[in-house]
Amino acid sequence: MSKYDYVPEPALVKGDHDFASLTRLVTDINLRPTPKGWYLAMIGANALLAVLGIAVGYLIWEGTGVWGLNNPVGWGWAIINFVWWVGIGHAGTLISAVLFLFRQDWRTAINRFSEAMTIFAVMCAGVFPAIHVGRIWVIYWVFPVPNQMAMWPNFNSPLLWDVFAVSTYFTVSFLFWYVGLVPDLATIRDRATDKIRKYAYGIFSLGWTGSNRHWWNYEKAYMILAGLATPLVLSVHTIVSFDFAVSLIPGWHTTIFPPYFVAGAIFSGFAMVLTLMIVARKIYGMKDIMTDDHMEKMNIVIMVTGSMVGFAYMMEFFIAWYSGVEYEKAIFLLRATGPYAWAYWAMMTCNVLSPQFFWFKKLRRSVGFTFFISIVVNIGMWFERFVITVTSLANDYLPSSWDYYSPTIWDILTYVGTFGLFFTMFLLFLRFLPMIALAEVKMIIPQADPHNYDENHDYQAPKVEIPTPKAVEA
Amino acid sequence: MSEVKQNTYWKSLNELAKNQEYQKFVEREFPENASELSDGFSRRGFLAIMGSAVLLASCDFARRPVQKILPYSKQPEDIVPGVPLFYASAMPFQGSLTGLVVENHEGRPTKVEGNDMHPGSHGGTSIFHQASVLGMYDPDRSKKVLRKGTDSTVNDFVDFAKKHFADTSKNIAFISEASSSPTLLGLKAQALNKFSNADWVTYEPFGESNALEGTQKAFGRRLRAHYDFSKANVFVSLDDDVLNGTHPNSVEYGKQISAARKVTSTNDSMSRIYAVENGYSLTGSYADHRLRLKASEIDAFAHALAAALSGRVSGLNAFSGYSNQFSDHEWISALADELVANRGESVVSVGNNHSANAHAVVAAINKALGNDGNTVNYLEVPHLDEESTSAFNATVEKMKNSGYDTVVMLGTNPVFSAQNKDFENALSNVEEVIHLSDYVDETSKKASWHINKAFYLESWSDGHSYGGVRSVIQPQIQPLYNGLSDIETLNIIVTGEMTSGYDLVQNTWKNIYSSGFKSKWAQLLHDGVDTNSGFTKANVRISSSFRPDTGKDNAISGIEITVRADSTLYDGRFANIAWLQELPDPMTKITWDNVAAMSPATAKQLGVENEDVVEITSNGQTIKIAAWIQPGHADNSISLTVGYGRDGIGRVANRYIDYTTGGVDTYPLVGNHFVSEGSVSKTSDTYEIACVQDHHSLEGRDLYRMATLEEYKSNPDYASFKSYHTYAVPGMKEAAEKGEDVPISLFDEQTYPDSEPQWGMAIDLNSCFGCGVCVIACQSENNIPVIGKKEVNRGREMHWIRTDRYYVGEDADAPMTAHQPVPCMHCEMAPCEQVCPVAATTHSEDGMNQMTYNRCIGTRYCANNCPYKVRRFNFFNFPKEFLTTGAEPDIIQMAMNPEVTVRFRGVMEKCTYCVQRVNRAKIDAKIETGSPKPAEGAVKTACQQACPADAIYFGDLTNENSEVAKMKRNERNYQMLEELNTRPRTSYIAKLRNPNPVLA
Repeated sequence: MSKYDYVPEPALVKGDHDFASLTRLVTDINLRPTPKGWYLAMIGANALLAVLGIAVGYLIWEGTGVWGLNNPVGWGWAIINFVWWVGIGHAGTLISAVLFLFRQDWRTAINRFSEAMTIFAVMCAGVFPAIHVGRIWVIYWVFPVPNQMAMWPNFNSPLLWDVFAVSTYFTVSFLFWYVGLVPDLATIRDRATDKIRKYAYGIFSLGWTGSNRHWWNYEKAYMILAGLATPLVLSVHTIVSFDFAVSLIPGWHTTIFPPYFVAGAIFSGFAMVLTLMIVARKIYGMKDIMTDDHMEKMNIVIMVTGSMVGFAYMMEFFIAWYSGVEYEKAIFLLRATGPYAWAYWAMMTCNVLSPQFFWFKKLRRSVGFTFFISIVVNIGMWFERFVITVTSLANDYLPSSWDYYSPTIWDILTYVGTFGLFFTMFLLFLRFLPMIALAEVKMIIPQADPHNYDENHDYQAPKVEIPTPKAVEA
Repeated sequence: MSEVKQNTYWKSLNELAKNQEYQKFVEREFPENASELSDGFSRRGFLAIMGSAVLLASCDFARRPVQKILPYSKQPEDIVPGVPLFYASAMPFQGSLTGLVVENHEGRPTKVEGNDMHPGSHGGTSIFHQASVLGMYDPDRSKKVLRKGTDSTVNDFVDFAKKHFADTSKNIAFISEASSSPTLLGLKAQALNKFSNADWVTYEPFGESNALEGTQKAFGRRLRAHYDFSKANVFVSLDDDVLNGTHPNSVEYGKQISAARKVTSTNDSMSRIYAVENGYSLTGSYADHRLRLKASEIDAFAHALAAALSGRVSGLNAFSGYSNQFSDHEWISALADELVANRGESVVSVGNNHSANAHAVVAAINKALGNDGNTVNYLEVPHLDEESTSAFNATVEKMKNSGYDTVVMLGTNPVFSAQNKDFENALSNVEEVIHLSDYVDETSKKASWHINKAFYLESWSDGHSYGGVRSVIQPQIQPLYNGLSDIETLNIIVTGEMTSGYDLVQNTWKNIYSSGFKSKWAQLLHDGVDTNSGFTKANVRISSSFRPDTGKDNAISGIEITVRADSTLYDGRFANIAWLQELPDPMTKITWDNVAAMSPATAKQLGVENEDVVEITSNGQTIKIAAWIQPGHADNSISLTVGYGRDGIGRVANRYIDYTTGGVDTYPLVGNHFVSEGSVSKTSDTYEIACVQDHHSLEGRDLYRMATLEEYKSNPDYASFKSYHTYAVPGMKEAAEKGEDVPISLFDEQTYPDSEPQWGMAIDLNSCFGCGVCVIACQSENNIPVIGKKEVNRGREMHWIRTDRYYVGEDADAPMTAHQPVPCMHCEMAPCEQVCPVAATTHSEDGMNQMTYNRCIGTRYCANNCPYKVRRFNFFNFPKEFLTTGAEPDIIQMAMNPEVTVRFRGVMEKCTYCVQRVNRAKIDAKIETGSPKPAEGAVKTACQQACPADAIYFGDLTNENSEVAKMKRNERNYQMLEELNTRPRTSYIAKLRNPNPVLA
């Protein structure tokens, strides 16, 4: 065989699966009794959620002063965490919508999973803008609600744009996720034996019968939502970046922010998906569906977006010098050499250096290494937000105002607490909803296409090893 | 409530939760109810019920407080609720009066301003005057008469005095703080007349004793040197910080010196200032040339200067041939040339902490230069006769030998502050110690009678300004705690009767105004000053016996320890005034603590860094105190300030239980001199210091623009953006194409061209010497809370105007200083307004950037986006803690300005250009003229009004003849960060220096 011969993609689902075995593999998790391990994990997650509750309660009781903020640095961990969680929330919609439009079938193994992650990450993100204000009891003033004061919010403010961008993103992501869930919920409904499950899944599967008409509507709705969600992938983090880019603070006021934030968001989102996927597929035995090939593809995305982020870092430096604006020059030098240099170099190491290992195929396919890098990347992305938010504020125009920012225990507990919210939601998701988009995975296994484009029976398959399809059960 | 918890209140907000007073307060259904209020105050027949109740409605912690206000049942004359009245009065400080005008709301003084007619003020004030309002409303002031530590009454004291002082042969020592009150002087004469064995000593820890002895040596008479800097072209300050509020005449001197340096065109000249000192003083920071020299070498330096002048002016023959280590110093010849060239138009002065010899030499120099009668007047000051360190020491010696039965102390605190450490022990040899004081202080605790003193705003008195002009001190309110004034107390001792201060003062003035008393008295109360008065100017001759103290250069070869009055607490008497504790030191920018300041080289030699605790031993006493590196400090010299490290004074002054706040008592190191040899060693401890400015370099930025007078004359546009950067502000070219003169912008312009007036401010950096009175005046006017050391250390200071201080120059050992007051810039295109999501900060039609507290939700985005970082966030409910805790929260609430909202937790605040004053003037103008455009000068912001340097101009920009409009047309006018196109309404007039080409 010459090396120019067609080499087909490796099979997306490994193992000897047919439709029935896939159904069992995925839905048995929801139908069998709750395992002890799940309860243990839930206790841990709920404990962290309680920490969040306490931290937020204390904050609201005492005031914003319980955080480490000061006069030049008006935004600290809360805004960092907000941007970080929103960034993580990018992977889901990218995988489900953008890759769907580009017909990347490998997305089916992870799209449900990552969409769930997106929704929960955006929930965690949404906590922060709400609680970081000084007077939380009037936070509703940011919404354009008609009122007796005849006051609209200030439509010039990027914070207001944020409110719209994030809430739109959450709504569309949630709808997209739910629409995708409907056929799978119906599958569980059909397999459920007890009444409660039958009713509960029955209600949420919206009377799905699998009729041709239903499939037709479903595919259309899914396509339209994918089309709507795609621009949102780009817009949300663009608008989040406007919080910084529209201001006039050196290091914030840069036009590179929108693409750079989006690239960083995809970077961190994919890393987070990998972190969760590697653990989940091990525990739930999903290695046949979430394969090493998936991991490798995602690692390539991480490598590419990581390099884009690294390019953006260098570009910021170049433009600061090229602009000739002394305040811009100063802030970038200060980032690399000033009081927060440790954070800057942590960011550079984690975000720019660590993904470069994925040039090596062996490392891309190493589960342990990927897991390690996926965590390193999210640490790096957190530091990126720290460097942007804090260093620019701490060292802006008037040197007299410069001050050092350090967090208090309440900053840290609030952040740690959001993991409680995230994991609580995620564990509920794993327990009660199919973590794989079952209907979609079934579409991409060979059995879904038994003709192999050979309606005339004259096609000669190239001599490569393709797993022989088994007979389909009724 | 336990002592410890109460102590911690000001300094730690976390302690608040444990504060039982606060909890009780919360638990009550109606936090302040009217019946309680009247219980507290009806006893005093006091008018402020309504005022305080209205105020309470605005400053309580509940979001919607439920409170009652009471109308007057009988309407007092002249009072229109909500409209303040202004009365002339005066504040005594170190025996000299500064004339004030006190703003009085319904019988409640809330703010003091300088009295334009008073020569000690000319409308200006110092930080101590401004902060005295809070001093009076201090709930920790002594509230009772104490007899051997137990509660007593004034009547008991009167009975005691009648009996005790019936025997006129008693050996009595009267120790009084400096007072120029004619009434007190009259009573003193009566007392000395009545008690034949009585001695009278005037005691001030940082008083004029050395200066008086100096003129005694030079001229043979004890005289006060009163300078007239308005006539001086050259001022040589030998460690004399005349611009600091610690100087009794700082306001007048500040006015004169800054006026002599006002430059409005290239034709103007300005005076030249030389400073020789060890620490970095305000005067040194304002000087054109500053020489750092150990304090112990000042004496020798003065001698060398006199010697250099001896051949060139007559009168200093005694110095011819004299030489010492400074005789060849380049400064000596340069100063001699300069002084000789400006004979009769120069001033040489030396600080009060320097020896009598140095004062004598300086007096001789001034006389020889012909400055006497021109720029220096030597005044005969009658009340200073008894101010003498040696007399005080003699009294202590006599006390030790049981020479006195009775000691009467009128308002001093020698147990804490006396150089003579025997004083405290000597008191135990005295049968009866009577002490009148504001607080139950260190001396009160040793006294058998403590009498709570009435504040100057509470009692009648009188006195002289530094230059001798007479005034009457009018009380503004009944004594809050039924205290007695010094004249009332002394009168009880002399007569055995309680006579009101009003009668005592009137009796004195009936003697002064022998005819037409009634109208003259009314005029005096109205004006606050009797301008036809003054101390007698003495005709002086250098006494023939005056000789240089040859060979007596007292220079200390090792490390010298200098102890000074603190720039914000003075000698400790203001230690319980929270505004002053939180006011950053004008040079170090440190709040709430004192430090051992030293030069970078000395610090390196000792191996210490900022906040390292050092052990300092001098005069056999050792203290431990945090080190602080002060660029420009003299090497091998340590500067300490006093007033800190107190116990049992009040919640503000006291040391924290674990000594993490409150500073260190440095009086033990004073010894018999303010300068003494000592040893310093590093310890392993550190002590946290709350410094509000971490970064001292301008980083080469053009925020502060400065040139020499010569450079200005050759390039009048030196302060423009173009001369700094060699190109115009970005966007100007594009604007020019459109025919506009301001850079193009994306945003809507908020200039309201048709609306008049339009407000603007200009700050003359050439006048500002950084004293910080603008900060306190603003705090007093605008109800700005005090937040405590811990919060300051977290970078949350609330001051609406701050004085940035940068060090300029290549040499870290001898940098120049740049003082820059920064209030809100009121940008026409304000970045804060663009980013607020709820439109809580918006522009007014008269050009002010306004903050709507009720609309603010506290995103802090505006503060982030402010390039000047002037916005202040209420991270906690600071006013609640400031105003509602402690035993009697309603007392301190009375210090608040009812015209300004007290802000609550979670909202942003910032300088408003004193919008309440602006709007009052607009309303008044509208009523009087029909137009809301006030006349020029009708509105003064609090910072502007208080400024002793007249550095701040504020007014209507649409009035082409207004002072501020004229200043803004000046070629030295520039906007900070103008390239950002924020178009600030607050601009700066660039700094000028006038260096001597010989020394440059």
